[in-house]
Amino acid sequence: MTTTAVRPATQGTAGALTGTRPLLRLALRADRWRIVVWALAVAWLTVVSVQSYDDLFGTLAARASRARLIASPAATAMAGPGYGLDDYTIGAMTANELALWIMIPVAIMAVLAVTRHLRQPEEDGRLELVRSAPVGAAAPVVAGLLAAVVGVLAVGATTFVGLLATDLDPVGSALLCASVVVVALVLAGASAVASQLAGHARTASSLGMAAIGVAFVLRAVGDVRGPQSTSVWTWLSPFGWSQATAPYTEDRWWPLAIGLVATAVSVAVAFALAGRRDLGRGLLHERPGRATGRLRGIVGLTWRRQRTSVLSWAVAVVLCGALVGLLADAITDFVADQPTFDELFGGGDPTAGAFALYSVFLAVLAFAYTTTAVGAAHGEELSGRGATLLALPVSRTRWLGAQVGVAAVASAAMLLVAGLVMGLTAAASLGDASRIVPLVGAAAVTIPGVACVLGVAVLVLGLAPRAFVVVWAYVAYVGVMAMFGDILPDGAGAASPFTYLPALPAEPMSWPPVVACTLVGLGALALGIVAFRRRDLQG
Amino acid sequence: MTDAITATGLVKTFGAKRALDGFDLRVATGEVHGFLGPNGAGKSTTIRVLLGLIRADEGEVTLLGGDPWRDAVALHRRLAYVPGDVTLWPTLSGGESIDLLGRLRGGLDPRRRADLVERFELDTTVKGRAYSKGNRQKVALVAALAADVELLLMDEPTSGLDPLMEALFQEVVREAAADGRTVLLSSHILAEVEALAQRVTIIRAGRTVQTGTLTELRSLTRTTVQVGLRDADGAGAVLAERVHDLRADDGHLTFDVEATALDDVLAALPAHGVTSLVAHPPTLEDLFLRQYSDELDALQVPGR
Repeated sequence: MTTTAVRPATQGTAGALTGTRPLLRLALRADRWRIVVWALAVAWLTVVSVQSYDDLFGTLAARASRARLIASPAATAMAGPGYGLDDYTIGAMTANELALWIMIPVAIMAVLAVTRHLRQPEEDGRLELVRSAPVGAAAPVVAGLLAAVVGVLAVGATTFVGLLATDLDPVGSALLCASVVVVALVLAGASAVASQLAGHARTASSLGMAAIGVAFVLRAVGDVRGPQSTSVWTWLSPFGWSQATAPYTEDRWWPLAIGLVATAVSVAVAFALAGRRDLGRGLLHERPGRATGRLRGIVGLTWRRQRTSVLSWAVAVVLCGALVGLLADAITDFVADQPTFDELFGGGDPTAGAFALYSVFLAVLAFAYTTTAVGAAHGEELSGRGATLLALPVSRTRWLGAQVGVAAVASAAMLLVAGLVMGLTAAASLGDASRIVPLVGAAAVTIPGVACVLGVAVLVLGLAPRAFVVVWAYVAYVGVMAMFGDILPDGAGAASPFTYLPALPAEPMSWPPVVACTLVGLGALALGIVAFRRRDLQG
Repeated sequence: MTDAITATGLVKTFGAKRALDGFDLRVATGEVHGFLGPNGAGKSTTIRVLLGLIRADEGEVTLLGGDPWRDAVALHRRLAYVPGDVTLWPTLSGGESIDLLGRLRGGLDPRRRADLVERFELDTTVKGRAYSKGNRQKVALVAALAADVELLLMDEPTSGLDPLMEALFQEVVREAAADGRTVLLSSHILAEVEALAQRVTIIRAGRTVQTGTLTELRSLTRTTVQVGLRDADGAGAVLAERVHDLRADDGHLTFDVEATALDDVLAALPAHGVTSLVAHPPTLEDLFLRQYSDELDALQVPGR
């Protein structure tokens, strides 16, 4: 018998994990700026928040009164399990009030990273190309998950380094950052499972977001029913686990083990499911659509595209309005205890000042929606769907105007509904029905700001669409001016509508600035549309 | 005959790249006009200029008697466009997309829509994000062909279609042409253009390198002749000066000959005893590749 040199098929490094390292490098290369921006933003906002706690609650009395406010059910729902309320140090305050709001964005980042790496390449057909190379079946999944983990760790580490610059105990800060990392890992694992179940990347990320929402509600219910993690509900939520570590007070490390075990289990489930589905298909099947359509125009199409986004943002804005309303009595009591807070809320009736400020926060949240809506119009242009419609007898003005119109109406409507809900809940909480109308007014008077944001967004879209991030910078600027405008030099807020709009209900209504802001916004909008008509379509 | 499209001296630059560099195009009303060129030659840029989606930096362009940039909306009532890479709304079914596009146009013929859906075997209930490339292409084809328009602008419309659907596409375009519609068919599938087009324009690096009827273009280039001769060597010596790529093989000569030299060459053959004769007119592929022979050399592909 003659022997021939046959190379075994599985020679060398061939295996399920072959190719993981180059794929991980590729994923990290694609993500590098995203990771840097997230890490710096999260760390910066954390440090700034801790410093503002230091500035605002320097005295024992201020912190004790803050502890009473935060112990109310509505505040607890949005904060934490309330460790250390009887000796409310800045550390206890950070763990109780801030930690959740670091965990949520980092969890969102992790969910988006996992679905982006695990499903998007498959949907775009890139994965087919990768898998046809000598790459193991598990390698893209492992590389994608590792890339998400690297991102989460980078955010955690950067935040820890930032916190070292504060007066907080380093051990507590390490535990806080570890808790943030672990909750993000748990949700990354859940998204890995969702990525195998869902038929499409967008469904997968929606499932991941829904998991964050459910986890948030579970811990909110738990923390309200049983302070200091004594409710079963709290222990059903990864946020509950990570908040049970109680950094700066109890400093417990063991709850993190629950999160790590949950992560390991969900990743194992994801791998098991991955072996059971075909490339490009999910385990959940999608319902077929209609064979014929009823959509009549661009407005109908825009609403169809945007409705999920509009409703999600509206729920967020309205819930924030409800929270402010439910807290109305606590805010009133708290402000009455703290005469120095008159300054913070601009003098006059301090409660009215607080509501004026909260209305601006609601408005900034609505502006974020407004910006995503105009950004989506740009996405339509880049995808080629814009060209498909503009090759029909559809003018540029109609195409863009319909999309901007839907964004304007939706933004204004969500602010009005949020104002109404804020008014109703405040009236219930204070037992004073006369609160309703002024609070609807407080939300309504921010609507000219929508015109300003739309004006900036459409102007950028018309003149320099590649620089769309400028619009986000403008919304962030308006938000920062609303929060810190008082302590910044005069004139810094000159480009923010809230520098001019009356701060209802603390100030009397004044029409000229309302009309002026609306006209400036609409003027910029008109210029933007003219510029869009004159430029080449992109994509 | 009037012209559906005339473009002269079109220039369009994107940054440092000149996508169109003095491009000329004339499409007569009622003809199927093939528009040939490899990737990046400027075909899509031309079609986007014709649609008024982008504006040429220089040059004159008239489409259906109007200015495609200024009169875009009015002109678009009279034309339909099929992109080469169709993107659909991910959450809309194919049927919803077809009907939306039809309504925005002012209505489409429901019978023609049903007929095309059936012939293209399109499942209209599938969501946009779940279609394969070929099926997305079919959605755009049904939407465009069901519309009652004078002009069809098609930018590589059959990319991703299987051979059966490709054959059906050719049939449908012939029907459209028989109805008197003008078709500008950009393609790099030369057989498709050869089967459908009366006239073709070849674009290269943003310039027109050839335009005319297929017959005219063929007459500009060489015919391949294979001839059996009793005295092949003698004939070879006589012909060597007048033909190209002369090869002798066991009593047969194969050579390419310019249209202008055909008379001479054929007159010289009988003296050497012709036993068989086969002559191929140049295919469109030959015409096309000859325009790009230097690029083939650069790619180290043997020319034809």
